Amino acid sequence: MHVMMLGINHRTAGVELRERLAISGTQLDSVVEQLRERFPAAEVVILSTCNRTELYIARPSRAAPSVDQVKAYLIEMSGLDPEVVGGALVDLRNEQAVNHVFRVACGLESMVLGEPQVLGQVKRAYEAAHGRGVVGPVLHQVFQRAIRVAKRVRTQTGIASGRVSIGSVAVDFAKQIFERFDDKTIVGIGAGELAKPMLGYLKRLRPAKLWVANRSPDKAQVIASKLGLGGEAGGARPYEELDELLVEADIVLTSTGASQPIVTAERFKPVWRRRRHRPLFMIDTAVPRDVEPAVGEFENVYLYNLDDLQRVVERTHGRREGLVEVCEAMLTEAVSSCMSQVQNRDIGQLVSALRKHLHDIGLAEQQRTMRKLAAGGAEGLTHELIEEHTQRLINKVLHLPLSQLDSRKPASSLGFYAAALRELFGLDQQQTSLTQVETDGPSADSSSEGLRVEINDTPPRTTPVRERA
Amino acid sequence: MIHDKLTTWVLIVLTVLSAAACLVAVVRLRKKSAGRGLWCVQLSLTGLCTAGSMGLFTYRALVVHRGWQPLESHVDGLLLIAALFAVMVLFLQSLGGVAGLATFALPVLTLILAWAICASAWTFYFFEIDSVWKTVHLAAVYLGTLFFAVAAIGGGMFLYVQRGLRCKRLGGGRGLASLEAIERLIVWASASGFALLSLGLAMGLILVASGPTKLGEGWWYSPKFVAATAVWLIYGAVMNARHAASYRGARAAWLSIAGLVLLLVTFGLVHATSDANADTAEFGIGLTHVGAAN
Repeated sequence: MHVMMLGINHRTAGVELRERLAISGTQLDSVVEQLRERFPAAEVVILSTCNRTELYIARPSRAAPSVDQVKAYLIEMSGLDPEVVGGALVDLRNEQAVNHVFRVACGLESMVLGEPQVLGQVKRAYEAAHGRGVVGPVLHQVFQRAIRVAKRVRTQTGIASGRVSIGSVAVDFAKQIFERFDDKTIVGIGAGELAKPMLGYLKRLRPAKLWVANRSPDKAQVIASKLGLGGEAGGARPYEELDELLVEADIVLTSTGASQPIVTAERFKPVWRRRRHRPLFMIDTAVPRDVEPAVGEFENVYLYNLDDLQRVVERTHGRREGLVEVCEAMLTEAVSSCMSQVQNRDIGQLVSALRKHLHDIGLAEQQRTMRKLAAGGAEGLTHELIEEHTQRLINKVLHLPLSQLDSRKPASSLGFYAAALRELFGLDQQQTSLTQVETDGPSADSSSEGLRVEINDTPPRTTPVRERA
Repeated sequence: MIHDKLTTWVLIVLTVLSAAACLVAVVRLRKKSAGRGLWCVQLSLTGLCTAGSMGLFTYRALVVHRGWQPLESHVDGLLLIAALFAVMVLFLQSLGGVAGLATFALPVLTLILAWAICASAWTFYFFEIDSVWKTVHLAAVYLGTLFFAVAAIGGGMFLYVQRGLRCKRLGGGRGLASLEAIERLIVWASASGFALLSLGLAMGLILVASGPTKLGEGWWYSPKFVAATAVWLIYGAVMNARHAASYRGARAAWLSIAGLVLLLVTFGLVHATSDANADTAEFGIGLTHVGAAN
């Protein structure tokens, strides 16, 4: 069996191309159907996320599709210039392809290293293909192993732990200070670039109230309505009520465009007294800063600026990058084990097919001989019949293997098959003489008739070559 | 036979188990992402310590003791505290309210068990409980100490988490509870300990007022009385921290630790002063007569 991966990802293609090649859930059925029609013997799993569109295909050795056929299909599907698509396509085969799916599942190929969502996407892609009946034993083995190994790698290395966005870091800090949020008030001051996404993150904490204040009330109103605020849940408040808001708040997010700090230590002191030492979590995302650093020195006030949050994110990235080697070491072992299993399974199938083939030949010959015996015209010729039966059987069994020793084939193939036959049947140079099979290539006089094979009368030794050695 | 060698050996095993649990807890705290395996090991070791302490306490009550009273000696008291303490930690952990509490509580459990080894092997003495008042007094003081220990652990935990926040270090991955949850624990444990300590002191007052005791005529200025009153006042302050706004957060945490330290110093101080003049002063935890080790 051959395993291959063809696709594009965020490293090889821009978002425009990724959009064109993306396969949505609604398109999946038709794509699977087309692939099934074109390549009936192939197993297929399609992984399509915002960062990658990849086709994982397993097929029998001599069956379709080839890499070029899949490339052609993807180019046709995208409707784009073949050179553009072809230049961005990545194709990996066998061990490399298996290694790739393992890396993808672990998040080692993700834009944000170690991100956990991709494992779910790999799992869903496999389940979708399995549900449509296009996953066979090989891809089943590969994907099941990939999902299992990815879980193990994540648990043992902790590559997915830690926060990678400023919003989620802010939420984590808030959770270190407060136990519950349904009795807390969040205040957003300013309408800077980060205001809306950060408030969106904080809103997920389900606070009792979320107020937005800005020098321009319209902008505050726009943010409040975009966040779906109103009534009891909060809304826009006048900027003039800033001090009052600071007293009410448990979490404050500032993101104004002011050139000077709007919350100075001097201004905050009376507010702090009125708060009666209630903890206050302040996130200052403005540059220049909105809150004087001295405010963070007050007791029970936890002040963080953009750099503080960014530092946590960078630490997570740094830590994850340091873990890549550990993950890769774990994957190397797992990929090798998975490939062995796939190959063992392949060989198992080959052996049973060979057995069946030989059994069919034997059965046909047996029936032929039995018919002759039953006809009765063979009385006294039993010995000849058995001899004929044996000769026919040997010829039929050896016909295809020996036809590979056709002198018209390239010399390297001939050498390979000759060596294989010696190895497979435990033959050596003294027992068998194969005319024109030496690596020098066939001679001119034998080229028209192929090879003549002489098998000595001496029965072949059955001891395996390895043992003799 | 009161002084039982088996007790000492079992206590040594329990202390080692508790120390191992402590070590696992520290590893879990230091590791950015500890797996579930370590958590299971820690839980199993803590469970063994709990079951072992309870089992040993029951064994002593049924086999070793002279009479029907389960609390016959100082080592029994410490065993009871260790068992109850471990049960409380496991219970609080199972509620999920104060994540990471066990990490800070296990060293204290180890210390209590180590103390129990000393009480069993070297400083063994038995209580002489001759009235209901003394029983209530002893039980209240022991249980009060237990709650104060929990409050102090909460205090340590609060300061650790707060330090992480001040250093802008995210401790979320380490699974520690929020400051708000820890502060609630401190207040709850201090309030419970304070109520029990009040009861214990009230019983003690009744005992000294009802007749001559070893504290003597000047009991109201004896080290034991003065130190116990100081501890009671400190905890009163901590207990009211929620209402007195300035005693919130780190201050309440420090006070809960200081309170426990003072409580232990009180025990130690009284013990030290009474050694010099054992005929005139009570010593040990609670107001009891102290007998010599067998």
